[in-house]
Amino acid sequence: MNNQQDSILTVSGLNVQYGSFTAVKDVSFDVRKGEIFGLLGPNGAGKTSTLSSIEGLVKFNAGSVIVDGFDAREKPLYARAAMGVQLQSTSFQPELKVSEILQLYAGIYGVPLTKDKLDEILKEIKLEDAASKKFGQLSGGQQQRVSLVISTIHNPRLVLLDEPTTGLDPQSRRQLWERIEAIRERGHAVLLTTHSMEEAESVCDRIGIIDHGKVIIIDTPQALIEKYKNDPEVIAVSRRGRVTLEDVFIALTGRAVRA
Amino acid sequence: MATTIPKTSTALSALLRADFTTQWRNRRSVVLVLLVPVIILISWKGLVEKLGGPFALSNSLTYGLIAIGLMGYTNSIARDRDKGVFQRLRVAPVPTWAIMMSRLFVQLMMIVLVTTAIFVVGYDYDKITLTPTGYIITYFTATIGGAVYLALGQLIVGLIKSPETVNSTSRLVYFSFVIIGMFGGLGMLGKQVEELTQWSPYGTVKNIMVAGMAPGTWNMTDTNALLVTLGYILVFATIGIKKFKWESK
Repeated sequence: MNNQQDSILTVSGLNVQYGSFTAVKDVSFDVRKGEIFGLLGPNGAGKTSTLSSIEGLVKFNAGSVIVDGFDAREKPLYARAAMGVQLQSTSFQPELKVSEILQLYAGIYGVPLTKDKLDEILKEIKLEDAASKKFGQLSGGQQQRVSLVISTIHNPRLVLLDEPTTGLDPQSRRQLWERIEAIRERGHAVLLTTHSMEEAESVCDRIGIIDHGKVIIIDTPQALIEKYKNDPEVIAVSRRGRVTLEDVFIALTGRAVRA
Repeated sequence: MATTIPKTSTALSALLRADFTTQWRNRRSVVLVLLVPVIILISWKGLVEKLGGPFALSNSLTYGLIAIGLMGYTNSIARDRDKGVFQRLRVAPVPTWAIMMSRLFVQLMMIVLVTTAIFVVGYDYDKITLTPTGYIITYFTATIGGAVYLALGQLIVGLIKSPETVNSTSRLVYFSFVIIGMFGGLGMLGKQVEELTQWSPYGTVKNIMVAGMAPGTWNMTDTNALLVTLGYILVFATIGIKKFKWESK
């Protein structure tokens, strides 16, 4: 099933520990070329710790992370150059204008950015009038568009999106989905975390459900629904007369509200 | 397409441009950093003849350096860490030392700016002049002195995560230096405090700057002060860097 040659990201036996607390236990999965992979889990399940390990923000205790053939531990700069990242709460220096933020990150990623190219990018994300605005002056949807364009400014092979649609209105969310799908169409891989089952079902090609630091299952949303649709526990939590991904998710991770 | 990492020099120049822009947009605080030592220098006009030009210049300059290290650098690091600015930079293919190097270079330029302003005001208002060697050495000693307070600032952000607590702590330390330096250094708080002040970060920095302004008077005590100053930099920076966390959570 796993075609290593097509994998842009391979996570194997990942373990992350904070003191005596184990946040991620033996997590393994891969994200393939031209695929949107969703990592789902309740609060505190280990999604962000997994993502942070891939991004290089958290040192993992065991396992390996290979991004586009580069070991994230041995060649962290190459691994980071191969990926674009949108963090859960992105922030830039509040004094900088949108155009200056784009120039900063283009410079950091070694991408030449002429005035024409800058205008083109801003036009593409429908922010041509916002070039001289500061990031904090933008709406939530506009901020997400800027963050996404920055994370893909260097045309990375892997894009990591940590809860990208949180706090967005339906229009902005749909627009973002289209942008994420456009990344996939360019042959790039996307790994995203989300709490929205609707999002996972609509956008993701495969999903991995993680809970208590462990990956419970990995499959396509449709296959998961198909596999569990007759499970009594899933039927018990079903609310709409038909089994949804959310029903499967709740049945697998439990009804208890997490902190 | 093969993945390549951008040149560190390209990334560094992008960071420098952003950090200088940020500093420029915060010019009101830059003016405040400049104003404090300039006001002290102007108000000490009457004491210049009694205490000597180098003493007045070095005293004012020390307050400027303290303000740069403790108010400017420390608070900007604490704020950006809390907002997640560093985390966003750290997921890019740029070495972490380049992120900090860019920040420190901006502060170095601030040190040069404050030193130049003090020289200009000292010459224009108090008629204080130094030899060309004195001016050159003072730029050097001011950089070392500035490094002490930047390292002290690093120590504060290394030990304290909350930006509000960093802000109040750095202010407290700043005013402690001002008060102890002003009164303790002049012997108004007793001999023991004067002795302690002399070997404190405030005293040693002031000492090397006075000696640097009049290079002919450099003696063993000044050499010891220089060594102690370097020791302060080493200790503060080592602990500050070791304890520093890139996020405030």
